[in-house]
Amino acid sequence: MRRYEIKMAIKSELRKSWIIMIKEFKQIFRKKALLIPLFMFPIIMIIFFGYGMGGTVKNVDILIANDDTGTASSSIVQEIGTFIPTYGEVKMFSITYTKDISQSEAERKINAGLYKAILLIPHDYSERIAKNESVTLTLLTDSSDTTSSGIIISFMKQFFAANAGSLILLSIPDIYGKLSYLDFLTPAVIALTVFFGTVQSTGYAIAGERQDGTIVRILMTPISRGAVILGKTVHQLILQLIRAVILILVAIILLGVTMNGSWLLVAMVLIIFTFSAVGLGIAISAISEDMTSFQQLSMLFTLPSMFTTGVFYPLSSIPNWMQWIAYTMPLTYANDAMRTIMVKGQGLSFIANDLMILLGFAIFYFGLGVYLFRREL
Amino acid sequence: MEPIIEVRDLTRVFISRRAKITAVDSVTFDINKGEIFGMIGPNGAGKSTIFAILSTLIKPTSGRVKVAGFDVEKEDESIRRIIGVVPQQYSLYSDLTARENLELMGNLYEVPRNVMEERIEYYLKLVHLESHADRFTGRFSGGMKQRLSVISAVIHDPEIIFWDEPTTGLDPQTRQAIWKLARKFNSEGKTLIFTTHYMDEADKLCDRVAIMNTGKLVALDTPENLKKGSNSASLEEVFIHLTGEEIRD
Repeated sequence: MRRYEIKMAIKSELRKSWIIMIKEFKQIFRKKALLIPLFMFPIIMIIFFGYGMGGTVKNVDILIANDDTGTASSSIVQEIGTFIPTYGEVKMFSITYTKDISQSEAERKINAGLYKAILLIPHDYSERIAKNESVTLTLLTDSSDTTSSGIIISFMKQFFAANAGSLILLSIPDIYGKLSYLDFLTPAVIALTVFFGTVQSTGYAIAGERQDGTIVRILMTPISRGAVILGKTVHQLILQLIRAVILILVAIILLGVTMNGSWLLVAMVLIIFTFSAVGLGIAISAISEDMTSFQQLSMLFTLPSMFTTGVFYPLSSIPNWMQWIAYTMPLTYANDAMRTIMVKGQGLSFIANDLMILLGFAIFYFGLGVYLFRREL
Repeated sequence: MEPIIEVRDLTRVFISRRAKITAVDSVTFDINKGEIFGMIGPNGAGKSTIFAILSTLIKPTSGRVKVAGFDVEKEDESIRRIIGVVPQQYSLYSDLTARENLELMGNLYEVPRNVMEERIEYYLKLVHLESHADRFTGRFSGGMKQRLSVISAVIHDPEIIFWDEPTTGLDPQTRQAIWKLARKFNSEGKTLIFTTHYMDEADKLCDRVAIMNTGKLVALDTPENLKKGSNSASLEEVFIHLTGEEIRD
């Protein structure tokens, strides 16, 4: 009997969550003025930033894999180190040296995000130079980060043209296909849009309902606070997934952006990430007295995310102290996972770390949101 | 008379960083089944806090409160099923139609679909909103919103209706209509509990009136007895006599 009652109670709560979710959808689709920025804002952002921004980098990790069996390559390797340009007092590249790695192993290291570029010096380098024959060095770059990749390629080309003479040739294979800054930007703008959209619309819904008293009326009915939150969360998950799919399709069709990976993995990242954003939206709105205070408070969280988490420029291009802030924000990991899937076309094992961290953020923020909602409302 | 609400030694304290405020201070009273019960008092008297506790929105600091035999702290969900609350703010979703607002409340109270449809038609007619059923409530006048807010609170046929400031800011015609509606619900056996700032409203409508001041219950009786007791011609005189002339924040 007790089991039956619990089953019926769960069924009733889920049904009520469904009612709340339907209400949320009805409301959002009736606010036509809100729908335009909801979908247009990220598209405008991709176009403006994609075509209008450049950037520089600092301390970008480069690996030089020197397989040369002779000694001729040592001078050129040393010279690369001394020619690295500086930005302020910081060197643009941080170079590590190794031996004996294959091209496929090097590609795996780039896929895993360990290096932005790997220069492979072949084993017969000294031999060919001694015979006055041309020798080809391979430069692999992480072209999913188009800013860093472009700067490294340009530096290497200039360096070899100026220092190595005509015998040394540079081969630069496109390991992810031909990519542009838009390819780098789009996955992160989608994550950013989901983050902003979810925090703002969840928060506004709750702060607005608090201001006009409707949330209190709902809470006076036999519905649990958990069911209210669940209804609002599922609404956001569906809305943000639809929004992300539309944006990716628009970016592919209109802007020629590359989608190399799995849609399912994109959905998985966004679902886990949306939980963090819903939680944050609920938490901020629960401690805000009205819409205006919510607006001001939410800015404190959303604006730093926009500029520190590597949406527009690679993380390596921002100061160290700012990078530490970035590591405390879920958007940083969502950006990384989205780029790994969409641009690098990699699978679950390559985003596992990002997913685990995002899951941690989701549990923390969602838990905090539910706790504050229960306490404050 | 059989009490439907029992309040015993109820205290509610709000603690903030700046102050500790005793909003309700050791209050004891009963509300009888089927009566229209009014709570009056100046601003900050504790009426809204008692209202919020009785409707399970906040918990008491100490004391015992039972609504229809259910404990407000332990059996809040059972209480919410049998009460209807008409808030002072109309609390309607402005981007839903009148019908959708009613359906939302009906669904949350798990009213069966066919019963709910019948009730929606009946109540919309009762408050003369049938021709506005499919309009967004954001475009309604204050009077229309109040009428809709009332029927939203009774869509599940509650035993007890809590009604906060039912006629504040309404024109005389709408006030009359609201009073008529209150009497109709009462004639169907429902218990009505009001808060109001209008003494004439309390006088005309209520079977008994509780007068609150600074968190304490200072008088509780029928309007007639209250007037007789303090030798006053109107309830307003009784009110001023018991709560003073000082303006409250």
